[in-house]
Amino acid sequence: MLTIILKEALLGSFSSIKNIIMIVIPIMIAMEILKDSGIFEKIADLFSPLVKIFGMKKESGFPLVIGILIGISYGAGVIFETAKQENLPERDLYLLTYFLVACHAIIEDTAIFTAIGANGALLLITRLFVASLFTFLASRIIKDKNKIKMSAEV
Amino acid sequence: MNKTAKTLSINTLKRGLISGINVTWELAKIVVPISFIVTFLKHTPILNIISEVFAPLMSMFGLPGKAAIALVLGNFVNLYAAIGAIVSLSLSVREITILAIMLSFCHSLPVETALAKKIGLSAIKVIAVRCSLAIIAGLAFNLFL
Repeated sequence: MLTIILKEALLGSFSSIKNIIMIVIPIMIAMEILKDSGIFEKIADLFSPLVKIFGMKKESGFPLVIGILIGISYGAGVIFETAKQENLPERDLYLLTYFLVACHAIIEDTAIFTAIGANGALLLITRLFVASLFTFLASRIIKDKNKIKMSAEV
Repeated sequence: MNKTAKTLSINTLKRGLISGINVTWELAKIVVPISFIVTFLKHTPILNIISEVFAPLMSMFGLPGKAAIALVLGNFVNLYAAIGAIVSLSLSVREITILAIMLSFCHSLPVETALAKKIGLSAIKVIAVRCSLAIIAGLAFNLFL
């Protein structure tokens, strides 16, 4: 009984992990190439003016695009750094964090979900579209003067 | 941003390979034990009980009751734990896609909510927004997919 379970669990998870390796390793290598060649920065520079539709400063777009592509932990680091250097308004920080909690790490997540059988393109488009729509709505609600206090130094 | 001059080198490839192996390792560390537990549950009446309890709720998203395990693990632990459950539950492509979109919007709540809080957002609002997006996306995918 136990050996059957063990065999089934190991075979099942190993074949999924094999599929994940085949997709994740090439993608992570491509991501490092994009990082080191400065292409991520170029992409971020290219798309960052789009945040103007949320009424955000152009500079806020950079951490947003990085967070969307790479991930929320890495993105948070860039947010703190950019916030310090560019003196980002509180409202921008809230909006870009709302966007990022809804949609981040699209490269890694899409790769993994595709590896286990999900429709990656559909996931990608839905996440970006819904997060943009939500942030747009939030941008109409959150006013410049925000009553919420910053709970931590940024 | 500090735009330090970055160059492509063999180190880039090395770092990519290492980070790919890291992701795989982090994933395997969680996927294998979770997969073992879920497979074990499959051979006991527990999975059936969970399935029946959650069947009415999950059917709104076009998912079987047992898919609740992936949603719970994904939200309270992380996506990798959800992946471990998904691969052991023998779900269809449609079901995996629905679960994936719901989990994409809402996962790893303890860790990620703490991050959002650090930036200054209210934890309750962040969780409410993410859960609502997940529920709406799940309903919509079930309807249109």
